[in-house]
Amino acid sequence: MTGPRLDIDLDAFAANLGAVGDRVAPAQLMLVVKDDAYGHGLEPIVRRAAAEGVRWFGAFDVREALLTRTVAGHDVRVFTWLTVAAAGIGAALAADLDLGVGDPDFLEEIAAVARRVDATARVHLKVDTGLHRNGIRPEDWGTVIGRARALADSGVISLVGVWSHIAEASDEEDDAARAAFDAAVATAEAAGFDLEVRHLSASAAAFARPEFRYDLVRVGAFCYGIRSAGGPDEPELRIRPIASLRAPVTHVADHAVTIGVGALHGLPSTLAKQATLVVAGGRVDVLRVDEAHSLIGPWSHARIGDEFTVFGPDGRSATDLAEAIGTVGEEILVRVSPLVPRSYSS
Amino acid sequence: MLRGGTGWTGWRLRGRAPDSLDGVTLGIPGRPALGHATPKRTTATARISRAALEVNLHAVLASTPAGVIDVRADAWGHGIEVVAPLALAAGAAAVLVDESAAPELERFADSARIVVDGVGIAPNAVYGLSPGFTPALSLSGWVLSLKALHEGEGVSYGYTYRAPRDTTVALVTGGYAQGVVRALGNAASVLIAGERHPIVGRVAMDVCVVDIGSAAVAPGDEAMFFGRPAAGEPSLADWAAATGMTPGELVTAVGLRNPREYTA
Repeated sequence: MTGPRLDIDLDAFAANLGAVGDRVAPAQLMLVVKDDAYGHGLEPIVRRAAAEGVRWFGAFDVREALLTRTVAGHDVRVFTWLTVAAAGIGAALAADLDLGVGDPDFLEEIAAVARRVDATARVHLKVDTGLHRNGIRPEDWGTVIGRARALADSGVISLVGVWSHIAEASDEEDDAARAAFDAAVATAEAAGFDLEVRHLSASAAAFARPEFRYDLVRVGAFCYGIRSAGGPDEPELRIRPIASLRAPVTHVADHAVTIGVGALHGLPSTLAKQATLVVAGGRVDVLRVDEAHSLIGPWSHARIGDEFTVFGPDGRSATDLAEAIGTVGEEILVRVSPLVPRSYSS
Repeated sequence: MLRGGTGWTGWRLRGRAPDSLDGVTLGIPGRPALGHATPKRTTATARISRAALEVNLHAVLASTPAGVIDVRADAWGHGIEVVAPLALAAGAAAVLVDESAAPELERFADSARIVVDGVGIAPNAVYGLSPGFTPALSLSGWVLSLKALHEGEGVSYGYTYRAPRDTTVALVTGGYAQGVVRALGNAASVLIAGERHPIVGRVAMDVCVVDIGSAAVAPGDEAMFFGRPAAGEPSLADWAAATGMTPGELVTAVGLRNPREYTA
C-alpha cells in the first residue's frame, strides 16, 4: 500500500456519544451526520449511533436524510433542513422526516405537497437570531406563525419545533440571540402550539452553557472528537478524536522522510512550514506537501513501510493542524478525499 | 479488530446523480404522484467541458508526443472514466493512475497503457489550470433564499462581517464540505446573473452568504464560484491567491465532492 487510509474507531465514537449525552442531559442529543458524517462515513456512524441509543439525527439534505432513515430504521427521528423542491419534499414526507424550515416560501411549498399527498408534514420553524443565514427574521416571525397556525388547523403541517443557530461571536451576543429565541418560542406558544422540541445550540454552546440546551442539542463535531479551534481541549470535553489519517513511509533520506499522502488526498498544502506532527519520541515538521506525497522531518529512525499517523488521538488532532493554518478541525476532516479508504474498528 | 472497507461505500462513487431528487417524480405509494414538480436546483454542481479537456490534451500531447497523462485522484476530480479515454484517444502513451483505481480502469483501457508510477506531463495544463489553457471544470451553487440585512448586523459564525449599510444577502449552497474553502469568506466573489457579489462572513460547512446589494437576484438563481476567466467568470486563480492552496488541490477537492455534469 502506498496511499493513505482513514481509520475510524467506533468504540471511541460511542464513548464520545456517551460523554456528550451525559453532559447535555436532560436535553436530548441530535447527532449531526451531514456531509458523510463529517467525512467519517454516514452508514457505519449512523448504525453505531442508533445502536447506542441516539434517537435524533440531523442531515443537511434529503438524500443523506433518506440514507439515514434506511440505516437507522423507523424508531428514530431524522431532521433535514436544506430548502428543496417539491420532489424532495415528497420523498421527505414518504420517509417520515422532520423538516427544518427557515423561509416562508418553503413552508408554503411543504404545505402544498402535503395537501396533495394527504400527509401531515412535521415542521420545525427556524427563527433568525442574528446569524443571518437561513431563518425567519424576528420582525416577520409573527406573520409566519400566523400562517403556520392556519396550515396546522387545516391538518397539512404539525409545528413540532422551533429552532435557531447562534454565531458564537461572544457570550453577550449569544445571550441576545437566546433572548430573541425565547421571544419567538413565546409567540409560537401564544398561537396555541405545544412545541415538542426547542433547539438552539451546537457543540460548543451545548457543552459550555446549560441555558442554551433547551430540549434538544444538535452536535456533530464533539461526537466525532473534534474540539473547537481555540476552545477547551479534549480531556476537558471528555472526548477523543475517532479518526486517524495514516500513511506509509515511502522514502527515507538524510534530510527528510517521504510519506504517501498529499494534497490530492485532501491534505492542505498550506500545512507546509506551518504544522508540526508527532512521531514516537519527538516532533517532525511538515516540510512540503506535494500531490500524492509529503516530506516531513527530521525523523532519524524512519524505515520504508512504517506507518505514520498524520492526525488522530495519539498525535496531533485535526484541530491542531487546523489551528496551524487558521481554520477548524471540521475542514481538515471533510477535505480528506472520499477516495481515501476508510476502515472501521469496534 | 480492523475491518477494512466494510462500512464505507464511497460517497461519490456510489453513483450520486446530479440533484437526484430534483425534478424527479417521487411519490408516496398508493397516493397521487407529484407530477408537476418544478425542477429547482439546490446542490452545488461541478460542470466539466469535454471540449476544453480535448483542446488541452491535444496541446499538451503536441508538445510531448506520446506523453503520460495524470489521471490520479479521479482525474483530479474531473472523472477518470471521461478523462482517461479522451487522453488515450488524443495519443497519450499511457495514463498515470492511483494503484487502487487501476483494476477498474482495466475494464475499459488496455492495461499496457495504464501505469501507477512515474510522472504525468503538465497536469495543470491538461485540466486548464495553467495560464493559456482552458479551465475544464466550473463550480456553481444556487441561491436558496434572500433576506434583508440591516446596517451593523453581522453574518455567520463569529460575525466576521458586519453590513456597512442596509443591504440584501443571499444564502448560497456550497460550503467547505463541497470544497468552497473556509478561507474564502470575505476574500472571494461569485457571479450571479452577470454580476460579481462578495462572499461575506465565514463560509459554513454547506452554505455561504453573498452580499447582493440591490441587484435583482431570485431564489433558484445560479451563483458561479469559478469558471472561465476569459468569459468574465470568476477564476480559480483568485481562490489560489486567497487561500494559498494550489489550483490542483482546489479543483480536485471540488470535483470529488460535488455532483458532476458533463458538457460537450
